[in-house]
Amino acid sequence: MHLKYESQLREPLVYGEKDFHQVTEDICRPIEAKPSKLWYVGFFIAVALLMFGFYSIYSEVTYGVGQWNLNKTVGWGWDITNFVWWVGIGHAGTLISAILLLFRQGWRTGVNRAAEAMTIFAVMCAGQFPIWHMGRVWMAFFVMPYPNTRGPLWANFNSPLLWDVFAISTYFTVSLLFWYSGLIPDFATIRDRAKTKLRKKLYGIAAFGWTGSTKHWQRHESLSLVLAGLSTPLVLSVHTIVSFDFATSVIPGWHTTIFPPYFVAGAVFSGFAMVQTLMLILRKVYGLEDYITLGHIEAMNKVIVLTGSIVGVAYLTELFMGWYSQNKYEGYTFWYSRANLFSPYGWSYWGMMACNVLSPQIFWFKKMRRNLFVTFFMSIIVNIGMWFERFVIIVTSLYRDYLPSSWSIYYSPTIFEIGFYLGTFGLFFTCFFLFSKYFPVIAIAEIKHVLQTTGESYKEKVGGIEAMQGEEFAHDYAH
Amino acid sequence: MASIRAQFEVPSKTKTWSLALIFIGVLSLIVGFVTKGMSSDEHTKTVFWGTLMYNSIFFTLICNASMFFICATTLAMGGWQIAFRRIPEAISVMVKIFGPITLAILLYVVLVDHNHEIYHWLSEEAKVDPILKGKLGFLNPTFFAIWTTLTIVLWIFLGARMRKLSAECDEAPMDAETGTKFIWRNTVSASLFIVWFALTVASTIPWLWMMSIDAHWYSTMYSWYTFASSFVSGMALVALWVIFLKNKGYLEYANEEHLHDIGKFMFAFSVFWTYLWFSQYMLIWYGNIPEEVVYFKHRVQGAYKGIFFLNLIINFICPLLILMKRSAKRNYTIVTFMAVLIIFGHWIDFYQMVMGSLSKEEVTLGWFDFGIASLFIGMIIFFVSKELAKKPLVMKYHPFLKESIIHHT
Amino acid sequence: MAKKKFVVGCFKEEAVLFPAVKKVRTAGYKIHDVYTPYPVHGLDHALGLRETSLHTAGFIYGITGTTTALSCISWILTSDWPLNFGGKPHFALPAWIPIIFEFTVLLAAVGMVLTFCYLCQLAPFLKKHHFHLRATDDYMVMAIECTAKTNVADLKAFLENAGAFEVNEQEAETQWWLGTYDKDQQLIRDTTIEIA
Repeated sequence: MHLKYESQLREPLVYGEKDFHQVTEDICRPIEAKPSKLWYVGFFIAVALLMFGFYSIYSEVTYGVGQWNLNKTVGWGWDITNFVWWVGIGHAGTLISAILLLFRQGWRTGVNRAAEAMTIFAVMCAGQFPIWHMGRVWMAFFVMPYPNTRGPLWANFNSPLLWDVFAISTYFTVSLLFWYSGLIPDFATIRDRAKTKLRKKLYGIAAFGWTGSTKHWQRHESLSLVLAGLSTPLVLSVHTIVSFDFATSVIPGWHTTIFPPYFVAGAVFSGFAMVQTLMLILRKVYGLEDYITLGHIEAMNKVIVLTGSIVGVAYLTELFMGWYSQNKYEGYTFWYSRANLFSPYGWSYWGMMACNVLSPQIFWFKKMRRNLFVTFFMSIIVNIGMWFERFVIIVTSLYRDYLPSSWSIYYSPTIFEIGFYLGTFGLFFTCFFLFSKYFPVIAIAEIKHVLQTTGESYKEKVGGIEAMQGEEFAHDYAH
Repeated sequence: MASIRAQFEVPSKTKTWSLALIFIGVLSLIVGFVTKGMSSDEHTKTVFWGTLMYNSIFFTLICNASMFFICATTLAMGGWQIAFRRIPEAISVMVKIFGPITLAILLYVVLVDHNHEIYHWLSEEAKVDPILKGKLGFLNPTFFAIWTTLTIVLWIFLGARMRKLSAECDEAPMDAETGTKFIWRNTVSASLFIVWFALTVASTIPWLWMMSIDAHWYSTMYSWYTFASSFVSGMALVALWVIFLKNKGYLEYANEEHLHDIGKFMFAFSVFWTYLWFSQYMLIWYGNIPEEVVYFKHRVQGAYKGIFFLNLIINFICPLLILMKRSAKRNYTIVTFMAVLIIFGHWIDFYQMVMGSLSKEEVTLGWFDFGIASLFIGMIIFFVSKELAKKPLVMKYHPFLKESIIHHT
Repeated sequence: MAKKKFVVGCFKEEAVLFPAVKKVRTAGYKIHDVYTPYPVHGLDHALGLRETSLHTAGFIYGITGTTTALSCISWILTSDWPLNFGGKPHFALPAWIPIIFEFTVLLAAVGMVLTFCYLCQLAPFLKKHHFHLRATDDYMVMAIECTAKTNVADLKAFLENAGAFEVNEQEAETQWWLGTYDKDQQLIRDTTIEIA
């Protein structure tokens, strides 16, 4: 048994006088109570949006992609913008649970479950866009590399679009497995507390007969660690491959080598912003302030300012290279189509700069990082900014390219494109509302695991150690 | 309760070895200068200066990576590294010595020698070349000199600030209040260093020092790639010193748990380096634009073919396969071997980044390269061990020391 | 189906559990298992369990994925139906890395999770005996297997001495069976001796 100790200088990750049972009670309470009125209101708004999305897709499938305003050069518009935006949001969950697990950041335990759920729902939303963009969606299975009936003609393995198929589906599968394997012990907790027959039955099925045996925990730990190790390069690869969709082409503004890491940083950035939005609501509605503390919020804001600045360095690098390359097409795209505020889409570039690079810099200040209102506001701003980023990349590079004779008219979306986008919000929030009602929104077993080290009441108990000096301490406790 | 050995004394053998390496280095520098540096053949002279350049840049950056490690872990509120933090601190002092050496070499090449065989943008031709003449706003001797000087001065200055703060841990125990303040001041200093690091290592400096050798060519990834290369070898250097001190019976609090985590850094950043390598290479290969593929053409298909693939095998395949296992990262012998291999591999990487452009037709790797490397390695051994002996090896009163003592992976 | 007799002791703190495990093992009793609400680090070593080799299985699945993807794609694009894509060689390795990587991860992850479920015998609609319902909440439940020679009363007293705050005796099925948790709730034959 190892000494459970951390410096008293660190804020507790769980506040209040809590033992294991209290943790179980606190986290299971919302699941066992009737949903509030607010929950119903939110849920029905989400479902209504989803219905609107269905209608938009129905119309697009029936009448064809012509329902959208895509034109001869802007062949990718809102659809792919939204696709990349949602995929990006879907990166925070795996980042929190995998990379922060490897970096042993204890604070991830408070938010990882909900963030992973969010990841899965965001990837589901993202997947919609390329699928319905195909137009003849009943042919979608053509992307699968199966021994086929189309003659011996196979899918093109050299195409980044096919890489995407593999990347997104692998990412979805692995995230789901990771999330679910973490949920099994928590479902068992709910099962063993259940009062009604239906609950016992359903949570019993979901818990796979988990008992909490030591050997099972040992394997579970090993599984989590390896899945985290696998997910870390995976999460990098997914947005990398999304960036390859653009960067392998020879279109000015798209063909640039920094795209892969810069897309990943941007994805983490927007993902954390979305996690902030959801967590601030969740902790308020479910009274989880003891578990999702200001310390958690501050830590996430630090990640936001870090990734926002990395993205900023990348923007400036690109802009610089647009000039340094002395390539007139690159120069035109970067310095006219984008950075010139008065060009047709200049507003989107400056919107992006303001939201993603400039405004997050307020998180250099501790006061701002710990201010709930500022955090909530900024989380929305960042998500808007990251949407602008994808719009800037896609539309400003496409609407004017090498041949002025093929420059297109100003692209703006139709109601069906907007409706489709709103529909994915419906899908996302419908899933998230159901999740927050029926699933443990905080990883119960993981909180119990860190509770003894970082829980407020436990930290008080080992206060005596704090006064010890290194040498004496090492003598008593070093292994 | 036996007292621990906190005060390092430089073993005489270490001193002898380092002086021997420096002697070999100086000897080859002199011989190299006579046979190559004073040669009337422009190309031979270029090889001489190029070799000095990539060695000094490489060793400066990997020592500076130590300070980056300290600052990054400080900002992340890490506690585990405290048991051995004096080591990256001592290594980062090398920037004070290597920085000015690099500065002198670069300024000589640009300001005194006007060596346009190295920096093509220094030539008269650049003023009429339609592409180069547009770049002269960035690629000009004045800006080069100012920015390079500023960069190195600030690396030294901001690094010294961090080390000064660290000295407070030797003075008196900290209570909760002074401890919190101490951490806060560290955080501020660390962020200043990181911001400057982002503006230099992660963007402008690699463009200016190395990418501009291929004056027409450009790649937005270049700087991040250079950073990854120097950081992973910087971690390997830290690992070597930790193991050296453990072998001499110091660093009681650091054990295989800490080594395991350093090993994880070496493993993870080797993979990260490969990721950046692949992204840059694959995108240029896939796009196949003539002005971009010129960079890889002679490296993949010409004289540098062997170096090119060796680079990939040493820096990717070996760390991936050897460091993957948990037991390997906890084994002193394997980590030592891998650290040496990684440093060598990335030295080769820097070699091909610079010399692959200066001497496209033939690989110049030979006695002179190894001689100069031994000069720098000798200096690292000599000065770092001297630096380690100046302060106690344990940050006795650091608020997170106890966390580091019971650190458990 | 094999029913066995167990003596069960409940603990609330790791600091009590670890010495108890040591005492019980030194006394020669056979610990069937310890059920905990969260992973207690070091407990597997204390119980003398060997390290899991699940990660080795994962490595093998991963390697399988790599070779499968590489061999399939190279066979398809170089011999089954070679096509010229953008003037690239038929064996266009850099362009295949993404799919090879994804497939490696996919196989490793799916394979490991399935192996995990198989090894731990976890599946939906599957039911096991639970020695104490609060083992998934806050109790650490130690089950000791009784043999014909075991003196149950002695063992109970021993456990109490070792720090268990609740001790009882159960006859339990050790294997899983098909069933759902809403039926037959009387899993525990209640012979609890409450001690203060």
